Amino acid sequence: MNCELAQERMVTAAYGELPDELVHELERHVAGCADCRKEREQVLALKVLADAHRVAEPNPNLVARAHLRLDEALDALPPKRWYERVGERILNNFASLQAAPAAALLLLIAGAGAGILGGYEYAQARAAHAAAQASNPSAAPVQPVTAVPELANIASISGIVREPNSEIVDVSFNQVVPRQVTGSLDDPAIRQLLMLATENSASQGVRDDSVALLAAECRAGHSCQPTGIREALMVALRYDRSARVRQKALEGLEPYVADDVRVRDAVLEAVLKDSDPAVRTAAIGLLEPVEADTSVRQVLYSVSNSDQSPQIRNVSRQVLSRVPETQ
Amino acid sequence: MGGAGRGDVSRSQERGQNRALEMDLIREAQAGSRAAFDALVRQYEHQVLRLALHLTGSEHDAEDIYQEAFLKAFRYIGNFRFECSFYTWIYRIVTNLCLDQLRRRKTRREDHAVVVDRTGDEIDVLASISDNRSFSNPARELDRKLLGEKIQAALTKLTPRERMVFELKHYQGLRLRTIGEMLNTTEETAKNTLFRATKKLRAQLADLR
Repeated sequence: MNCELAQERMVTAAYGELPDELVHELERHVAGCADCRKEREQVLALKVLADAHRVAEPNPNLVARAHLRLDEALDALPPKRWYERVGERILNNFASLQAAPAAALLLLIAGAGAGILGGYEYAQARAAHAAAQASNPSAAPVQPVTAVPELANIASISGIVREPNSEIVDVSFNQVVPRQVTGSLDDPAIRQLLMLATENSASQGVRDDSVALLAAECRAGHSCQPTGIREALMVALRYDRSARVRQKALEGLEPYVADDVRVRDAVLEAVLKDSDPAVRTAAIGLLEPVEADTSVRQVLYSVSNSDQSPQIRNVSRQVLSRVPETQ
Repeated sequence: MGGAGRGDVSRSQERGQNRALEMDLIREAQAGSRAAFDALVRQYEHQVLRLALHLTGSEHDAEDIYQEAFLKAFRYIGNFRFECSFYTWIYRIVTNLCLDQLRRRKTRREDHAVVVDRTGDEIDVLASISDNRSFSNPARELDRKLLGEKIQAALTKLTPRERMVFELKHYQGLRLRTIGEMLNTTEETAKNTLFRATKKLRAQLADLR
């Protein structure tokens, strides 16, 4: 070992990075060379001197401040678009495959094989189709293999895909399975179905029947709880498109106008906003005197003074004359 | 001996477990999890700040490097391929930013023994280090402070790359192989750069010996 090499290695050795066998060689050289011994002392002295310039630990405030600033910057970044995420995922997958050459090769072979086979099958099918068309040019268009079900049983169409360069279309749909159940009006399951039926936007008649049945249950005092049937009737009163259904809902809510402030509010809303005069008149008729509630008098005053319909104004004045002053 | 051997095995197992946990965090962060990325930041933010602070001497600059480094990490974590450790990857980003910072500085501040905080006030780093002896020696402290200033001045004479290698080896204690990976070079090149840096420093500090 010469001095130049020894002096290079003693720096590495001073930092503990020289392999053991080379350390031994270096020690032997240094033992016999005064210049290199001096050089080594200087390297070690430099290490001690350099430590005078100490590494300061970042104070907790700096760490916290930096972290907060980073959080704000990350929050301000726009989210990645879907194609950026997909692109990254694809690139990551390719990169993973790069690290696994055998797997990549197998995948390539399998993919090529599947592609060749698929192409062959497709070409065969096209040739057969073309041959059939050629042999009977006047034939009607090819019927799809799967018979189209009755439209009445279809709940929704979830997808449409057209085969390239052909008249063939794949349509995915969800089918309704008709079911029937029989039970008592007191049965919670039956009630649930009836409540669901009040929201059935497809069939007017079904909504009509369900509201009528539920209203009858409430009028009869059969477990018409605040949540459940009573709520379903309030929803029907507020939102159903049929005046007859809204009227039936009113009838069902009549027993609860005095005690349930939510029912009272729904009825007052009907007085003010319903589009059907008969429903409004019926709603006014339901309002009974409530000693603690001035909202009834306020609505009736408003309607009696400013409503466009003379009939509504009359009816509301009549009710007002029967409602005593509030305490 | 058996006990030491068992200790080595359990430390090795612990390192393996930590590595596996970190890989899970990285994968989650790649999938878009902010919480996972935040956990990764918390693992390395102290070291990143320490390095940036020691190199730049400025809290403001250290914060900027921290911000830029972790934003880059967030942006490009999808490109991380597990070919090296995340530690090496993030440090690679940080060292490149620090190198850019060193290269941008056309003039060096005279006094580098102080750190400038965000309000612009200077904090004497050497004085702020607590003396855990029962009673301190002011004269000795002053000597050390002056020496620190001289060291810092000598460090500014190195090229940015030499400064970086010396910083990472002497002050951060990294292995030359890791330093090579971080600076996108070989271990041999890092070794040669360290040698050149120490030679220059010895020449600068010759009058102190």
